[in-house]
Amino acid sequence: MSNQIISAENNITRKDFWKTFWRSFTLLNSFNFERMEGLGYLYAIMPELKKIYKDDEEKLKAAYHRHLEAFNMTIAPAPFVMGISIAMEEQAKDDPDFDTSSINAVKVSLMGPLSGIGDTFFWGIFRVIACSIGVSFAKQGNVLAPFIMLFLFNTPAFLTRWYGLNLGYRSGSKILDEFQKSGKMQLFTYCAGIVGVMAVGCMVASQINIVSPLAFSIAGQKIIIQDYLDQIMPKLLPLLVTVGVYAAIKKHINVTKIIASIVVIGFILGVFGIVGMGA
Amino acid sequence: MHVTLMQAILIAGVVALSNLDGNFFGEMKFREPLVTGFLVGLILGDVRQGLIIGAELQVIWMGAVGIGPAAQLDIGAGSTIGTAVALLTGKGAAVAITLGLPVAVIMQFLNTLLMTSYSVLMHHVDKLVDELKEKQMIFIHIICGMITASVYAVLTFIVIYYGNDAINAIVTGLPAWANNGLSAVAAILPALGFALLLNILMEPKLIPFFIAGYGITAYTHFNTVAVTILAVAVAWVIYLIRTNSIPGPAAAADSQKEDDEEL
Repeated sequence: MSNQIISAENNITRKDFWKTFWRSFTLLNSFNFERMEGLGYLYAIMPELKKIYKDDEEKLKAAYHRHLEAFNMTIAPAPFVMGISIAMEEQAKDDPDFDTSSINAVKVSLMGPLSGIGDTFFWGIFRVIACSIGVSFAKQGNVLAPFIMLFLFNTPAFLTRWYGLNLGYRSGSKILDEFQKSGKMQLFTYCAGIVGVMAVGCMVASQINIVSPLAFSIAGQKIIIQDYLDQIMPKLLPLLVTVGVYAAIKKHINVTKIIASIVVIGFILGVFGIVGMGA
Repeated sequence: MHVTLMQAILIAGVVALSNLDGNFFGEMKFREPLVTGFLVGLILGDVRQGLIIGAELQVIWMGAVGIGPAAQLDIGAGSTIGTAVALLTGKGAAVAITLGLPVAVIMQFLNTLLMTSYSVLMHHVDKLVDELKEKQMIFIHIICGMITASVYAVLTFIVIYYGNDAINAIVTGLPAWANNGLSAVAAILPALGFALLLNILMEPKLIPFFIAGYGITAYTHFNTVAVTILAVAVAWVIYLIRTNSIPGPAAAADSQKEDDEEL
């Protein structure tokens, strides 16, 4: 790996960016409810900050304090924000009139939208696809299954981190301006949401196995409830239960309470043979 | 099957790994049941069964995410311990799920306590900044995750090594009616996972696509990859239409301007 210079003025090199790249993985390591990923963020961009403010201890301390502030984001897109922060710190050093509070303002303004996109892509799409494919291998007892899953998930995650960091440094603020002015940010998030939500719809129909084993005879005719349910719509019970639980979450019912209810109600329905697991 | 000291230590190590995954390893997904099932299978000498139980747990927790309200379940630790018990008792995935669930709740509660206490350390870091003690700042950053992982490992070891016989007695002594109840719970739990995933993805304008994904699969048995490919195509078309990238009478007037705005 050639150690090419990224910023001649502050002697920031590719090697520093690789440090930030690897350090960004530990973003959640000291997660706490006050600063959240603050210390992790500072740790990740510390190599660059040290170089930028190597001649000015007071400004270095100020920069450290700045990046210790509360920050919280899905971790894969976070290096993009780090790139922007590094670029802004360089500007702040050169321009005495630079408003340093804008550095954190940009970070905070990106937490919501980038986490939204990040969650949709990494939790809603990449994880789901990588795990689905991994599961089909694992069911055959194929030992490659976990490795296939890890490879499929981590390839986009690693690329997003590295290119995000570089892109954020070089043209982060420009890209954001354009995206926000043109409304493409919301459109992009919406389109990513389409993929995520369709995949969830698919999995509700394919991965949930709630059936009713209930059967009884009326006037010599055997009635199997599940047959009737299937005629109304296949996978009706999985859909109803998922929508029901989703509605409960939306009503801000504590998830622990929801879990407890599922365990109690599910157990009773199971004991009486009303609900069971399908084949 | 009786667990050996070495096996109990290694299983504790897998639980620590599943925890470090979300902290130190930046969610590389070592915590997924596919991975932990494989590792536990390797440790207990039945890779095939470990993979199969891992796959079943993976499906059940496919929707469960580690963010927002879902953070009340530690799927990584729960699935690892659940899989270990399922393999040790020779019972299937239903045991892994039902035993894993309370573990997942308790571990997450503990994790929350630890994350609250780490807030105190941050004030100490503030002081270290003023003294420019970078090494100590980094030490605190690293040690937090290590403490959490160690607590996980120690608790797992105690449960697996000393609780082995008790768990064995409970699991093998379950009557048939209780098994029916547990398998119904195991059938319903995936719905919770997907509801949690919907909670971060869903907005009212996306409802038609949820219906489409569900409908296509319920009637055609397309798998997730097939539906995702369709979804990418649909999303792409909508993106092109909304950015006026498709030439046509309505968009013709703006097309030059739009082209200039392309990134």
